[in-house]
Formats: sequence, structure tokens, C-alpha cells
Amino acid sequence: MTVSDAVDQYTIMSGDRSKIKDLLCNRLTECGWRDEVRLLCRNILLDKTGNNSVTVEQLIAEVTPKARTLVPDAVKKELLMKIRTILAENEAENNSN
Amino acid sequence: MQPLGSTTTTAATAAQVPMTAAAITSNFQELIKEPKGLDEAANYLYQTLVDDAVAGIFIETHHLRKTNNLTALDGVCEENAESTYRICEMPNLDIFGISTAKKPMDCTCPNCDRLVAAARFAPHLEKCMGMGRNSSRIASRRLATKEGTSASSSSSSTYLQSGNAGGTDDEDDVDWSSDKRKKKSTQNSRNNGSKKNNGKTF
Repeated sequence: MTVSDAVDQYTIMSGDRSKIKDLLCNRLTECGWRDEVRLLCRNILLDKTGNNSVTVEQLIAEVTPKARTLVPDAVKKELLMKIRTILAENEAENNSN
Repeated sequence: MQPLGSTTTTAATAAQVPMTAAAITSNFQELIKEPKGLDEAANYLYQTLVDDAVAGIFIETHHLRKTNNLTALDGVCEENAESTYRICEMPNLDIFGISTAKKPMDCTCPNCDRLVAAARFAPHLEKCMGMGRNSSRIASRRLATKEGTSASSSSSSTYLQSGNAGGTDDEDDVDWSSDKRKKKSTQNSRNNGSKKNNGKTF
């Protein structure tokens, strides 16, 4: 049982995942990250237009690291804090139950 | 928006190893108990969700490109249109760069090829073509002269002749055109002309 499986299963089961995802999406849209990434994707797509051998997965693998670095530090910190508190809250609730 | 790749893998593992909700919860709680595990979980969750978001945006853009909506969003380069449709802001010109000064509106009469002020065109045409009660006399007269001359001379001279014969109302048409408009003299000239014409033709 790896960390990823445990976290995935639990967050999906408890409904935290969609909650956190909404929060994350809102924050990233607010800080303009979404537009930056959209531009990045656009440029990459336009660059690779003629090349049919490139798969979407490859392109996504190319975009992802760049997009990660584009997230502002403040937003990243805030989101990590929020995620941690949400996960911790759940633990506290479960313990009390 | 985000692809559910991680969700499906989770479902697959869950199918392989049947787990109850209680087992999942206890698993998670054990993981989270120490701060290091909590940090790890938070980091992992954050990373996954960001990656999902990126993939979502990428696929969205990819879809736009495949459906040609990306070029549609870019729009057409409007270099030519810039000069053609630029709004003109000169004092005496309208937005198309055309002078706002009132220009005389003249129509060419199809019957006698004369310029007639637009406001007077209908009355002129009525007279010129010989309609209406007042001009029926003139028209019939003109017809008569045309028949009379056509018998003796060629067709071109016939046209000239008829033009001369119709000169009575053409004269006042000149007065009616927008340049010089004298209503009183028109009445006189018409009367005089018709009298003169009567004398000539009959």
C-alpha cells in the first residue's frame, strides 16, 4: 500500500478531493496561472503542429514541469497549508468518532 | 475538466484488492499520524491536482486546435481593414471620411437626359412623358410634331426636333434643377413657351 493509493482512495471516498480541487482551481485561476499555462500549451501545440508522431502524453509530459514552476510560491504555500489542514481535520473527526 | 486518470487507477487497485471503507480510512490515518506522512500526503495531493489541472488545460487547448477554434480565437489579421474601416474624425467629414456638406441631389431624366433636382423629378417626369392632365396637351402636341417631322427627315433629326419641340417644358425644367430655382419665372416661361410653341407648330 503506497502513499499515493492511500491518499487517493481516502480523499475520493471522503469527498475531500473535489473540495480541494475546487479550491486549487479557483486559486490558480485567480493568480493568472491558468492563462499562463494556456498560453504555454498553445505555443507548444503550434510548434508541434506539423509533427504527427508526437503523442498528447508526450506533450503533456513536456508541459507539466514548466507549468509546475509557473505556480506562484505564495499560492503553492497557501494550498499546501489548506490541504494539510483539511486532511488533519478529517483525522481529528475520525478520531473523535 | 481534469482527466480522472488517478481515479481509474485507484478503482483498478481497489478491484484487485477488495477494501472496505474502514480499511481505507485506517490506512490513511496511519499514514497521517506522523507529520512527515501528512506532509508527504499533502505534497502528493497537491502535485497530482496541479498535474491534473495542467492536463485539463492542455487537452482543452488541444481540442480547440483540433476543432480549429484556436485560429478562430486568434482572429483574422486586420491590417487592411485597419485603414479601410478606420473611423475618420475630421471636423467637416463624417465617420467614413465623406464630406458632410449637403450636395445637390440631381437625377437624370431617362426621357430627355436632363439633370433634374430629385425633389422635382417626379413632376418633371410626369410632364416629360406626357402624363397628367396639364401636360397631356403638350405630350400630344409633341407626338404630333414627332410624327410630322419623322415623315420628312431621318431619325436623328427627329429626336432633335422633338427635343426642340419639347423645349417648352424643358426650359422650365432647367429652372427647376437645384442650381437656380425661380418659381415665379417658371410659371411665366411655361406660359410664354407654350404660347410660342403653339404659334410655331400650328
